[in-house]
Amino acid sequence: MTIKIAVVQFPGANCDLDAMHVLNNVIGIETSLVWHNHFKEAEFDGVILPGGFSFGDYLRAGIIAAHSPALDEARIMLKDGRPILGICNGFQILTEAEFLPGALLQNDSLKFVCKWINIRVENNKTPFTHKMKNGDVLAIPVAHGEGRYFADNLKELEENEQIVFKYSDENGKYTQNANPNGSMENIAGIRNLEGNCLGLMPHPERASEAILAPKGTTHGKLFFDSMIEFIKRRS
Amino acid sequence: MKVNGGELKVDLTEPEVKWIKDTLERDPSITELGMFDVMWSEHCSYKSSRPKLKLFEDAEKNYDYVLAGPGEDAGVIDIGNGYALAFRIESHNHPSAIEPYHGAATGIGGIIRDVLCMGVRPIALLDPLRFGTLKNNPHSQWLFKYVVKGIADYGNCTGIPTIGGEVEFDKSFEGNCLVNVACIGLGTVDDFRHAPSRAYNPEDYIILMGGSTGRDGIHGVTFASRTLTDMSEADRPAVQIGDPFTKKMIIEATIEAIKTGYVRGLKDLGGGGISCALSELTGDGGTGAKIEMRKIFTREPGMNSYEIMLSESQERMAFIVKPEGLEKILEIFRKFEMAHAVIGRTDDSKVLKIYDGDKLVVNLPSIALSESPIIDREEKRPEILDGLISQKTPEPSSNLEEIIYKLIASENICSKEWVYRQYDHEVGVRSVVKCGTGDSGVLRIIGTNKFLASSVGTNSKHCFLNPYEGAKGGLVEVCGNVIANGARPKAMVNCCNFGNPEIPESFWYFANSVRGMADFCKELRIPVVGGNVSFYNEDEVNKTAIKPAPVIMIVGIIEGVEKIITLPFKNVGDDILIIGETENELGGSEYHSVMYDIEGGLPPKVDEKKIKARWDFIFKLYEKKMIKANHDVNKGGFLISIAEMCFKNKLGADLDLNNYNDTNLRDDKLLFSESVGRFIIETEPKDFEVIMILAEKFKVTVKKLGVLINKPEINVKGLASQDIKLNIEKMKDLYDSTIPNLMDI
Repeated sequence: MTIKIAVVQFPGANCDLDAMHVLNNVIGIETSLVWHNHFKEAEFDGVILPGGFSFGDYLRAGIIAAHSPALDEARIMLKDGRPILGICNGFQILTEAEFLPGALLQNDSLKFVCKWINIRVENNKTPFTHKMKNGDVLAIPVAHGEGRYFADNLKELEENEQIVFKYSDENGKYTQNANPNGSMENIAGIRNLEGNCLGLMPHPERASEAILAPKGTTHGKLFFDSMIEFIKRRS
Repeated sequence: MKVNGGELKVDLTEPEVKWIKDTLERDPSITELGMFDVMWSEHCSYKSSRPKLKLFEDAEKNYDYVLAGPGEDAGVIDIGNGYALAFRIESHNHPSAIEPYHGAATGIGGIIRDVLCMGVRPIALLDPLRFGTLKNNPHSQWLFKYVVKGIADYGNCTGIPTIGGEVEFDKSFEGNCLVNVACIGLGTVDDFRHAPSRAYNPEDYIILMGGSTGRDGIHGVTFASRTLTDMSEADRPAVQIGDPFTKKMIIEATIEAIKTGYVRGLKDLGGGGISCALSELTGDGGTGAKIEMRKIFTREPGMNSYEIMLSESQERMAFIVKPEGLEKILEIFRKFEMAHAVIGRTDDSKVLKIYDGDKLVVNLPSIALSESPIIDREEKRPEILDGLISQKTPEPSSNLEEIIYKLIASENICSKEWVYRQYDHEVGVRSVVKCGTGDSGVLRIIGTNKFLASSVGTNSKHCFLNPYEGAKGGLVEVCGNVIANGARPKAMVNCCNFGNPEIPESFWYFANSVRGMADFCKELRIPVVGGNVSFYNEDEVNKTAIKPAPVIMIVGIIEGVEKIITLPFKNVGDDILIIGETENELGGSEYHSVMYDIEGGLPPKVDEKKIKARWDFIFKLYEKKMIKANHDVNKGGFLISIAEMCFKNKLGADLDLNNYNDTNLRDDKLLFSESVGRFIIETEPKDFEVIMILAEKFKVTVKKLGVLINKPEINVKGLASQDIKLNIEKMKDLYDSTIPNLMDI
C-alpha cells in the first residue's frame, strides 16, 4: 500500500515545509502539502497540523484556524481513528477545535522562547509514541510564545493516561528549570481519549536529523516512524 | 513652498527646486514635488554618500560569482550547484528610536521584501543593535526590550529564523539607538534571473499586491534624513505599522507567482512608497507607464493623490506581469486571499503618467526621479582626537582577577542569550551552528553539501578613535567570525550609521570608514555587493552624534559538513594556541571603559598582509583537520575568549604566558588589548610540531598558551605582577546573569 499523509497549510503556517522535508526526505513517505480549504480527508491516511502562526495568531493562537473547513474534514478522521498530529501551533489549533482538552496560555516568562529542551515519555501506547519506551528522555526544541498548558480536569487526564509527554531534565526529573513555559505539571503533550490525536508544543520535525541536534540525536524521527507504522498495521 | 494644488513644506534645496522647474519647463504639481522631495532625500538618493561609495570596486565586473552588486535591492552571489544567495543589510534607526516595537518590526519587514524581490526565499535574519548603556537607564532598557520584541514577533511569525546578531551598549547611542536588520535569501540562479527589479517590456501589466495604502508612514524617508529633535515625538505617525501575517502571505504568494514564469519584474514598496517603486521599475528599465491611481486600494476614503503616491504603508509589492499570464497570477493572489489590483500598464514612452480619474497628476520622465543631484560634503578631522588617542592607561587599580570578573559581566561582553532565546533561530530546519555555539550562524543548504555562515558587526569605540582602521578592524572581526566556523568569506554588504553629513567632522568619519572598508576588501578580495547609509544619527537636543558604526555583514561558504568548526573546547589534554600578536592597543577597549570610564588610547591597527597570512594558515590547518575549536579574539582580550570556549563543556585551562609576551607589555595591556585578527584554537599535542612548521612557512605568529584541563578553572602563570586563578563557574554565572538581572525585573 502507499501511505498518504497530508500536511495542512493554514495561512501563516511556517513549519509546513519543515514537516514536508522530514516526511519526504528523511522518512521517505509521499506527503502532500494541502492548502487548508482544499483539504479532503478521504485522500489521506493521516494528517499533520504544522507549527507557525496560523492567521497571524490574531485574536488567540490557533482559534481562527480551528474554524477552517480543514478541521471539519479532520474531525471525520478523528472519529474513524486515523492519526492526527498537531505540532506547536497545530496543538493550539487542536485544543481550540476541542479535539484535545485544555488550553495553551502565554508563557510564564511573557516572552517567546526558542531552545532545545528534554521531554519524558509518559505514554508509549499511542500511534505516535509506540516506538518509544515510557521513561525515555527525548532531546527536542521548543519555539513558542503561548505554550503553557492548562487544564481544569487534570485528574481525569492522568487517570485516562492522556498525558503523553512532560518536560524533564536530562535525567528524566520533572524540575521547574526544565519547564520552558510554566505548563501545569510540566505537561508538554496530550492525547485524546481514543488516542489517535496527539498535540505537543515541541517540534519533532526539527529533531529528526543528527546534523540539527546539539548532541546528534534523532529523537524526533520516532514520532513519524511510529505514525507510519501505525498506519501500516491498521490497514 | 507654494505650488499648483496647494502649499507643501519640502526638504529640497533651492537649487534642486530650480533644477526640477528647468527640466520640466514648468512648475511641478504638488504630487510631483512630493515625489521629488522623497526620492531626492538623503535616504533614497544617497546624494552625500555616493561620491565616497564609488571607492568600492565594481563587484559585478571584478568577481565572476557576483550576480548583482550595489544599486540593486540586494546583492546576489552564485554559490554553485545552481543556487544563488541574496542578502542585504539596512538601518531602521530613526523609527526605532521613536517607536521601538513597530520601528524594529517594520525594519524586518522592509529587509525581507528587499531580498524577496530578488526572486528568492528569505531564509535568515541577523540584527546588529546599538543602545545606550542599560544600567540605571530605564529609557535604554525600554528601547532594548521593545526592539528585541519587535524583531522577535515579526521575524518569528514570518517563519524566517534569526540566526545571529550583535549588541553594543554605549552612551552615545542613548538618544539614537541603532537598529540594523539583515536578511539572506536562497533560490536558484534561474529564480533570480527571471524577475529583475525592472520593467524592461512595454505592454506588461502592473499589479499592486498586499497591504492597503493608508496614511501611515507618509514621508518616513525625509524624516529619516533629518536629525532627531525634541519635536520628533510628533513624527510618530511617520513610523509605519507592521503586519507579519500579511508579510508571510506575501512571501508565499510571491514565490508561487515567480515559479509560474509569468512575473517579469518585481519591486517592493519601501521608502518613498509607490512613487519610488514605479520610478525605479520604469526608469531603470527604460520604459514608461500609465497608472490609474484610483485603482490603488486605500485603507481609508478621501486620500488625495499626494498621500496615495507617498504613503509608505507596509506589506506591499509591485509585480510586472506578462499579458498572457495575468489571469494565472491573479488566481494565485486570490488563493492566498491577498488584496491586489491591476493599476496600469508599461509602455515605451519613457514617461511616468499617473491619472487621478481623468486628471493627469504626475507627468514625469521616468528617469527624472532617479537622477538626483550629488553633494560634495566637506570633511574635517575632529580636533579632540589627538587628545583622546594620547590618553594613557592608568595603573591597574584592582587585582587582575577582579578585573576579569568585571569584564566578563560587562554589558558588551556578557552573554546575549536573553536576546536570542526570544528569536526562533531554528525554523526552516537549516540551522546547524546555532546562536551561542559559534561566532557566526551556520545554515545548511539542503540538496547540497554546502553551508552558509554569516555574521554582522563592527566596533564603534575603535571607529570613534580611528574610523579608517576601525572599519577595517570591523571587517577583520566579522570575517574572523565566519572563518572561525570554517567558512571562506564570499561577499560583504555594509550599513553605514553616522551623524549629520552636513557637519564636516561627522562626514570625515563616514568618508574614512568607507576608505578603510574599500581598501581592505580590495586587498583581501572580498566583493562589496551592497550597502545602506544612515546619516543624521545625531541628537539635536544634547548636541551629540553617535559613535561611528560602519556595520558589516559577511556571508561565507563552508564546503562540506566535515569542515564545520565550532567554538567550545572539546578534549582535556589538548593544546590551546593563539594565532597573531597582541599589541599595545587598548584604545576604545572594554577594559578602558569598564574600569576607568575612558574612551581614548591607541586603537587597533590592521595589517592586511598579516591578516591574509593568518587566514591562509587557518585554512591550511582546516585542510589537515588539525583544528578542533576556533574562536576569534574580540572585546575584552584573549582570556575572555578562552573562558567563553571553556563554558559549554565545563572544561578549564592551565596557561603559561611567559612565552607569548615578546614585547614585554604590562600585564593589563597583554591581557586586555583588543588587537584585531587573533584567534584561539584547540589542537592536539601530536600535531604541534607540524603546526609550528606551517606557522613559520606562512609567516604567522603562533604560540602555545597552555592545555585544557578537567577542572572548571583557568590558571595563568608567567605574568609579571601575579599568577591568576579564575573560577569558570563563577565566570559563567556572571556572563549569563548580567542582562537578565537588568531586564527581567
